[in-house]
Amino acid sequence: MSDASSLAVETSSKKKMADDKDSNLILPDNLPGLNAWKARRHLLDTKDLSVEEVDALISVAKLCKNIHSKGRPPLTVLSHKVVGNLFYENSTRTRSSFELAARKLGASVLNLDIRMSSVAKGETIEDTARTLVSMGVDAVVQRHSSSGSAHKLAELLKDEVHVLNAGDGWNAHPTQALLDLFSMQETGKAIKGRKVAIIGDITHSRVARSNIWLLQKLGAEIHVAGPPTLVPVELDSFGVTVHEKLEPAIKDADFVIALRLQLERQDEGLIPSIGEYKRLYRLDHERIKRCKADVRVLHPGPVNRGIEITDDLVDDSKVSLVNLQVANGIAVRMAVLYLLMYDGEDS
Amino acid sequence: MESAILIKNGRVINPTDASGKATSNVANNQSLDIRIRDGKITEMESDLKRRDNESVVDAQGCWVMPGFVDMHTHLRDLGQADREDISTGTKAAAAGGYTTVVAMANTDPPTDCAEILDRVIKRIHERAIVEVLPVAAVTKGLKGVELTNMVEMSDMGAIAFSDDGMPISNLDVLRRAFEYARLHGRPIISHPEDKDLSHGGSMNEGCQSTCLGMKGIPSASEAACVAREIEVLRYTGGRLHFAHTSAKASIDLIRQAKAQGLNVTADATPHHLVLSDADMTPYDTSFKMNPPLRSQKDVEAIEQALAEGVIDAIATDHAPHSKLDKSKPFDHAPFGIIGLETAFSLCFEKLVLSGKMPPNKFLALITTHPAKILGIPAPQISVGSRANIAIVDPEMRWNFEIGESFSKSKNSPFTGRSLKGKNLVTIFNGKIVYLDKERAAKRVQEVCASST
Repeated sequence: MSDASSLAVETSSKKKMADDKDSNLILPDNLPGLNAWKARRHLLDTKDLSVEEVDALISVAKLCKNIHSKGRPPLTVLSHKVVGNLFYENSTRTRSSFELAARKLGASVLNLDIRMSSVAKGETIEDTARTLVSMGVDAVVQRHSSSGSAHKLAELLKDEVHVLNAGDGWNAHPTQALLDLFSMQETGKAIKGRKVAIIGDITHSRVARSNIWLLQKLGAEIHVAGPPTLVPVELDSFGVTVHEKLEPAIKDADFVIALRLQLERQDEGLIPSIGEYKRLYRLDHERIKRCKADVRVLHPGPVNRGIEITDDLVDDSKVSLVNLQVANGIAVRMAVLYLLMYDGEDS
Repeated sequence: MESAILIKNGRVINPTDASGKATSNVANNQSLDIRIRDGKITEMESDLKRRDNESVVDAQGCWVMPGFVDMHTHLRDLGQADREDISTGTKAAAAGGYTTVVAMANTDPPTDCAEILDRVIKRIHERAIVEVLPVAAVTKGLKGVELTNMVEMSDMGAIAFSDDGMPISNLDVLRRAFEYARLHGRPIISHPEDKDLSHGGSMNEGCQSTCLGMKGIPSASEAACVAREIEVLRYTGGRLHFAHTSAKASIDLIRQAKAQGLNVTADATPHHLVLSDADMTPYDTSFKMNPPLRSQKDVEAIEQALAEGVIDAIATDHAPHSKLDKSKPFDHAPFGIIGLETAFSLCFEKLVLSGKMPPNKFLALITTHPAKILGIPAPQISVGSRANIAIVDPEMRWNFEIGESFSKSKNSPFTGRSLKGKNLVTIFNGKIVYLDKERAAKRVQEVCASST
């Protein structure tokens, strides 16, 4: 791999797998940020992504979306690569999304189902990941309940694999934030200067954190609202406007992200009841009248219908981006895998 | 005969003069030679001649100080000897200039009865190279329910009582402990923490924990516990020592209690004095300890409280943990860092080199003050006193390399840190128990090498 333009891949010229030129992943020659991606080994957080890297990633995601939405056969750009899915927490959605994204680029996928019990037996995240490395895995997609676990893995195995953080504790879920951004941008609005409201359980949300760091970088104005028991301390010190009530947070908002409420928060005594939560924070058509007229509502899924958002609002395709987010998730993950793993040789 | 040493040309620094009053300033501390025989200091003059049977330590340019007292260490041993044992722990202590260390009771099994204390004392006799004073538990099994046989253990040599790490949450039990303690008169050392408020947290609650997505431990978990224990003590009388105070709010309460005449004392650790949560390497478990590193405002409060005398002593809370345990993710890894070998230099830089405190005042924080709280003789360099001595080069810059640590465990946030002021020689009961061979080998001439 020599320069940015060499990233352009003419799969069809090398393989007869597809005649249609839409199957090719042809990147623009002068995409700023591509060199930064070349130098990058891991995607752990949105905190350390530059704006150029984000822009490059979104450009590649657009190309990927074009390809996969047309139902073409897989590309071969990662056909000699193996992606290992290492999920210590259940997640059918994110895992399937990564798996599909990897397969669409031609990579092999290894799913290792890790029960927390095997960790309790004394196996460290290092041992587990090394097992995957020994099996010849090139990238590890990890989800783990401990904040910082992806950073730890990247530090331990920095030269051996790419680490893609698919969620670490309350800390980060970078591909979710990137797909949220991609979905917002697809509405045609530039993010700079937009008001984005994030609603619900901020404290325990890696989605909220990754979105805050990412969207702030792009110039968005972030407002949050949630029960005071579920908003982390000193969040305002990061330039986030913190509200207790929903209404001022969503007033004139361009985008509203509703977070999933883990139902165990009630048992933990952090909210008195689901009913009270709905009363204060559930998004519905009436409440979003306070937002901009063209507001779009996002949710990382899976939605607790009727708790974070009303049924009607989730299904209102004029307002809700929920289905788009799922589709864009595959494109964004393809782009991330490609940018981190493609080394210029597609069999 | 066997342990005769002559220390030449060192500058003697005492925290107090012979009458026990604080020494006024450094200029009064003279360059003196010190003769040691049979574990005691026998002569102090400006130009002593070496005798044939004496080893000589050249202390030119060095400060000669009474050996330090650490009133809070975890030497492990027994069922946790993979982390540290009394041999390795006291070697680390000696390397740091400590000649007396107080070993906490949260051993495995806990030091909560005469049988276990007897085992601990035997281990100390077998393995310790400096003085180790064992602490015994306040309650059986550190469970906070039933009082231990405190008087029996006090008679056996328990220096103080503490359920360190497992604060007594039932205030009725705490009340009974304070009352019962009148029978032995030894201090109760509190680890102030409300376990409900800190539950599940692994670092200070503040903008750093918010940024890193980590459950925080609010400073109120310490301060709320300090407040309620002070109120119980106010009612029962007695004396109470708060270990490793970390939060400004706790310190303010202690200041107030002292002003009201309560018999309350406190210590702080070197790491809480020199690091805030902003200094953490994110997710590095070498920065995970309990109490956690607090905010800059708390760090400043500790420094001020040490200067004012609100915090009486500096104690390391040396807490070894295995590499395996510390390699767990941050939220699952155990709390604690080692600290015996870095304590002096860290605090010396922060308090003395910065000009905030004269050396003798700082020295009191790691010698006479903890000794007074513990009820042991004040460490002193004077004729007739025990020859427990640390010889420190105050100008020497050195790197703390974890591989060179004597501790079995390597969990230090100060790995690779450049420090100023290095303990070169430690003498305990008239014997050299530590010599920095790399930096100071030439300073010591053994008897056989020189005589005749």
